[in-house]
Amino acid sequence: MTKAAKKPILRLKNVSKVFAGYQALNDVSLEVYPGQVLCLLGDNGAGKSTLIKVLSGFHEPTSGTVEWDGQEARFKSPKDANERGIATVHQFGGTFPLMSIGRSFFVGVEPTKGWGPFKRFDRKYANETAVREMQQLGITRITDGERLIGSLSGGERQASAIARAVHFGAKVLILDEPTAALGVKEATHVLRIIMQAKLKGIAVILVTHNVSHALTVGDHFAVLIRGQKADDFAKGERTRDQITDLMAGGEAMAELEAELNTLTGTINQIH
Amino acid sequence: MKISRSVKIAAAFAASALALTGVNASAANAAGGEKVYVVGGMPSDPFWSVVKRGAEAAANAVKDAGGTVTWLGPQNYDNLGPDAGKLVDNAIAAGATAIVVADWVPAAENAAIKRAVAKGISVVHYNAGGVKEAKNTGALAYVGSDDYLAGVAGGKYFASKGAKNILCVNTVPGSANQEARCKGVADGAKGKAKAKQLPLPSSNFGNPTAVSNAVKAALTKDKTIDAVVTIGVQDADSSAAAIKASGSKAKLGTFDLSENVLARIAAGTQAFAIDQQPWLQGYLATSMAWQHAQYGILPASNPVLTGPAIVDKSNVAKVSAGVKAGVR
Amino acid sequence: MSAKATASKAASKPGFDITNIARRPEFGALIGAVAVFIFFSIAGGSGFTDAGGWASWLNVASEVGIIALPVALVMIAGDLDLSVGSTLAASSMTMAILSGFFGLPTWVGVIAALLFGVLVGWLNGYLVTKTNLPSFVVTLASMFIVMGATLGATRLIVGSTSVTMTADPFFQIIFGNLIFGLFETAVVWWAVIAIIVSWVLYKSIFGNWIYAIGGDMISARATGIPVNKVRIALFMGSGFGAALVGVIQTCIYNGAQVAAGQSFVFNSIIAVVVGGVLLTGGYGSTLGVILGTVTFGIVNQGIYYTGWDADWAALILGLLLLAAVLTNNTFRRLALSGGKKEKKND
Repeated sequence: MTKAAKKPILRLKNVSKVFAGYQALNDVSLEVYPGQVLCLLGDNGAGKSTLIKVLSGFHEPTSGTVEWDGQEARFKSPKDANERGIATVHQFGGTFPLMSIGRSFFVGVEPTKGWGPFKRFDRKYANETAVREMQQLGITRITDGERLIGSLSGGERQASAIARAVHFGAKVLILDEPTAALGVKEATHVLRIIMQAKLKGIAVILVTHNVSHALTVGDHFAVLIRGQKADDFAKGERTRDQITDLMAGGEAMAELEAELNTLTGTINQIH
Repeated sequence: MKISRSVKIAAAFAASALALTGVNASAANAAGGEKVYVVGGMPSDPFWSVVKRGAEAAANAVKDAGGTVTWLGPQNYDNLGPDAGKLVDNAIAAGATAIVVADWVPAAENAAIKRAVAKGISVVHYNAGGVKEAKNTGALAYVGSDDYLAGVAGGKYFASKGAKNILCVNTVPGSANQEARCKGVADGAKGKAKAKQLPLPSSNFGNPTAVSNAVKAALTKDKTIDAVVTIGVQDADSSAAAIKASGSKAKLGTFDLSENVLARIAAGTQAFAIDQQPWLQGYLATSMAWQHAQYGILPASNPVLTGPAIVDKSNVAKVSAGVKAGVR
Repeated sequence: MSAKATASKAASKPGFDITNIARRPEFGALIGAVAVFIFFSIAGGSGFTDAGGWASWLNVASEVGIIALPVALVMIAGDLDLSVGSTLAASSMTMAILSGFFGLPTWVGVIAALLFGVLVGWLNGYLVTKTNLPSFVVTLASMFIVMGATLGATRLIVGSTSVTMTADPFFQIIFGNLIFGLFETAVVWWAVIAIIVSWVLYKSIFGNWIYAIGGDMISARATGIPVNKVRIALFMGSGFGAALVGVIQTCIYNGAQVAAGQSFVFNSIIAVVVGGVLLTGGYGSTLGVILGTVTFGIVNQGIYYTGWDADWAALILGLLLLAAVLTNNTFRRLALSGGKKEKKND
């Protein structure tokens, strides 16, 4: 897989989104390339989730355009975006915790067998496929497709959702804070899965707070502050401290830390 | 049946909305015409449906004299006493000159009724409360049956036919009316037969299959039961099915009447029914209240008893004609 | 019910695993049903365990079950249907008025009654999906609307609140007969409905949609599931179930009552919840609902075989149902607690 095909699969041009008197996104432009991981960084409320919702078809932009594979595109619904190959995985992975692995894997695109009125859900195929796809992503502990999604660990749930997206040929995979609720080991595992998806030529958009995780897998980075793109750079162009400062809203993180230190210092003296 | 089988379920949700159902549109409410308000049960209750027809018949005379009759009934029986009290107050506020009211829950209703009496409104009690409560509130009279006496009549009838062990099926346990009926049955048969109650919880309400199978179970458990009496007509339908399914030889009696009950009496699969003649209650009470308000006319007897009247094979044909006409 | 195709050729696991069975949604309901059966078999003696006793609780359970099964689908999809009681009464009255009061052939009444039930269901579904109001509120409203319309129309047409009718022999046999003189034909109808509902839930892709909608409606819609159509169809199903019981009761008891049916609203929900369906949707099984309905039927009727003072019946019913629901909750948590190796998760 070449490191980066030169043509972006998805491109935002001057996109703004206004909700009843409040501007969530302001003139944001972004390019997403196949086989690359774009890390979307930003503090809470910076507009990351609005941006994801625009990309995945939940919202249409108020102004600006979205281009898909070089063509201007309008995603009228999540289903519309989904059909083009944009898959979104949320923080807790599978959204159907009380469904079995096999069933949730195929929600909306159920495999069937039989004919006419006897056409029925092919549970065996669904379970086997789901388990196989997860095992290919390194989740070898899961052998039974009948298990409930809710019984999986956080990392396994992420894996099942990513496996699903990969299986159905997603071209763009949006991961919303996939590592936020995970322990160190599980998070590492999810990062490895992200690399696997990237190597398959999928364009990955990784939304995260965690600068270390971003630096580990990211090829390209965009930082959002109050709905605006504050910075946009490739791997190696910024140091970790610069990125942290940016994410904190432009203030020097070092100053904040110094301030915190004096506070804790004071408290220590009282005790 | 009085406070009876009906939409109990609504208990959970409904803020008991109060319905105003005009018996006669008061379009021709000529000045000076008497305004009669009748506070009764739920319009969907088969028993009250007949009472209301009686009131409607009486309303014709009122209308001819330029007055109006308005029926006031609660949407459900979940909060019956306070609701009925409120309806009486509504009638006073609407300018009633005569009020007919069932005193189901004296503690909750009497204050409102006394307010009406104090205003000089002609008040008649009917259906519930008896002459005791009528005297208590200062109402003119009580028109209706006496549940206990009706029960006694049923108990005596069973005993006279040789029953030894009577089961009284009570689908509204705790209701004073129904308890009095079952007690009356026991006392009426005293010395000749023993009587026991089968109280069914509200989870079986309005479900004839649950009632039927519970009665069947009781008959299976105690094979000496040779008589079953029910407090209402739907329970009688259920019990008739139960007696058949259990293979029991028990005789069936019920309070109140319906087409099915009469059909069974005519066919010999039910012994009797105790009628309190609800049509007469609605008719007489409405007429009395109106006549007193308009002309000062009042019967001398108090209470005016409309029952019990026993319906069995000997008189079933005539009664059937009345049921078809909606007056029984 | 689905076979337990737990075996997977990959990684070898110990062949039989009791926790896998305990993790199934119907396990709690099974324990509940067996427990109340044993309880009343001891307390109720031979009267309860012989054919007559079985008929008692099966008859009650089957009528509740015919409604509870389609209601379970509605609830798995995350909705509630409180209008089934009114629908039952209205359908029953429709049939009695057409075939009893107007003397039309029974089949006309039966078809009209069933269509009426489906129509009420459609209306519920349409209003719920159009307005986006909670189905609790919408069906609460339709419960009163249908109740009031039934009363008003019946009075207007018949002039009373109960209508007598006798079904033609054919319909009397298929709806209102007692098999072996004991078991209502409703038991057979219940079995038929159970097979159909199970097929829909487990075998059809429609079933997967039901789970997905109950699990997360927004995500389900995003995957392209026609969420509104599915929900409307499910309400039509519960309306049909209610109407079918209305038809059955009309045949058995030779007529219809305006005020009938309301007990089925709570009783069907009780059976469904005792059967392990999550009140908030997304989880449940038909076998569980059948067992929940059986539990309800046994508790509802068992007390009358014990010879105890029936004044306590409601108390015992409440306690047993509470115990059953707690048991379910425990097993559902077990189902979500992964295997033994994994610790906890969110």
